[in-house]
Amino acid sequence: MPGRGKLIAVIGDEDTCTGFLLGGIGELNKNRKPNFLVVEKDTSVTEIEETFKSFLARNDIGIVLINQFIAEMIRHAIDAHLQSIPAVLEIPSKEHPYDASKDSILRRAKGMFSAEDFR
Amino acid sequence: MSLDPASLRIDQRLLYFMDQLEILEEKRQKLNALIEEGWFNISKARYSMGNKQVSALQYASEMDPHVYVNTRSTLRNGVVEFQCEQTEHKAEEPKESDTVENMGTNRRRQKETEDESTAKGQHEEERQVAPKAEKAQCPLQEPLKWFGILVPQNLKQAQTVFKEVITLSAEISTLQNVILVTREELQSQMKEKQKISLN
Repeated sequence: MPGRGKLIAVIGDEDTCTGFLLGGIGELNKNRKPNFLVVEKDTSVTEIEETFKSFLARNDIGIVLINQFIAEMIRHAIDAHLQSIPAVLEIPSKEHPYDASKDSILRRAKGMFSAEDFR
Repeated sequence: MSLDPASLRIDQRLLYFMDQLEILEEKRQKLNALIEEGWFNISKARYSMGNKQVSALQYASEMDPHVYVNTRSTLRNGVVEFQCEQTEHKAEEPKESDTVENMGTNRRRQKETEDESTAKGQHEEERQVAPKAEKAQCPLQEPLKWFGILVPQNLKQAQTVFKEVITLSAEISTLQNVILVTREELQSQMKEKQKISLN
């Protein structure tokens, strides 16, 4: 559909993905590639990282939502992403509450208050 | 003693930066609370429907998004604004000609004509009816229906909550972007100030 907005992608546990798909973000494109990844116990870190990178590379994705405990597994990839679009948003998961001190954006923001900046 | 304009500008930006961080924290708390509410509703639905009735196995094989994010880059400093757009999938409203009474009369009329029509005529009619039936299956599928026709109220509540979460995530994404851009501005202003003070 030309002129439409961008999609929201999710990488998360089953309940997080189910919730967001209920909200109506789910898409399977022409190549049958989904815009979500349900992370289970046997999902490898490589698979998560590859999916995350493929979401970043897609032009039709505007926001990537990711459970914080999964974001921790691929922190290097998240920290390396500096572009505004797609925005990466860390969200809590059922078993791991949100910790602001781990959030990459807030850590970047906190980084500005170093002693060097105020000299 | 008055401060130099560069310092004043930095102070203003810093206050703005702090305000944005405060707003972000508030929205974050709201988002976390909403997600928790959503999970709780999914769990309740799972309890009443059965453990395996609300899982990834029920996801449809064909999916179309009902929510889009419009990204707009504002001219000032290149801040990207994310705005959520929900496309409502309206159930096809029955046309006047489709009402029960009209359908009844149509059937009667059809029957009258059927008597007169030949076998060839009947085939044509069937061909006309077939595309209509295909059309009815096409509209965007409501994700709730993946889990059944009569789903518990909790699942509907979970859907409402997650729709709100989606809108809020777009707002938070904008805010995060504003914070990062403001941070860069502050850093460049500080460097400028350092240069001035060195000269």
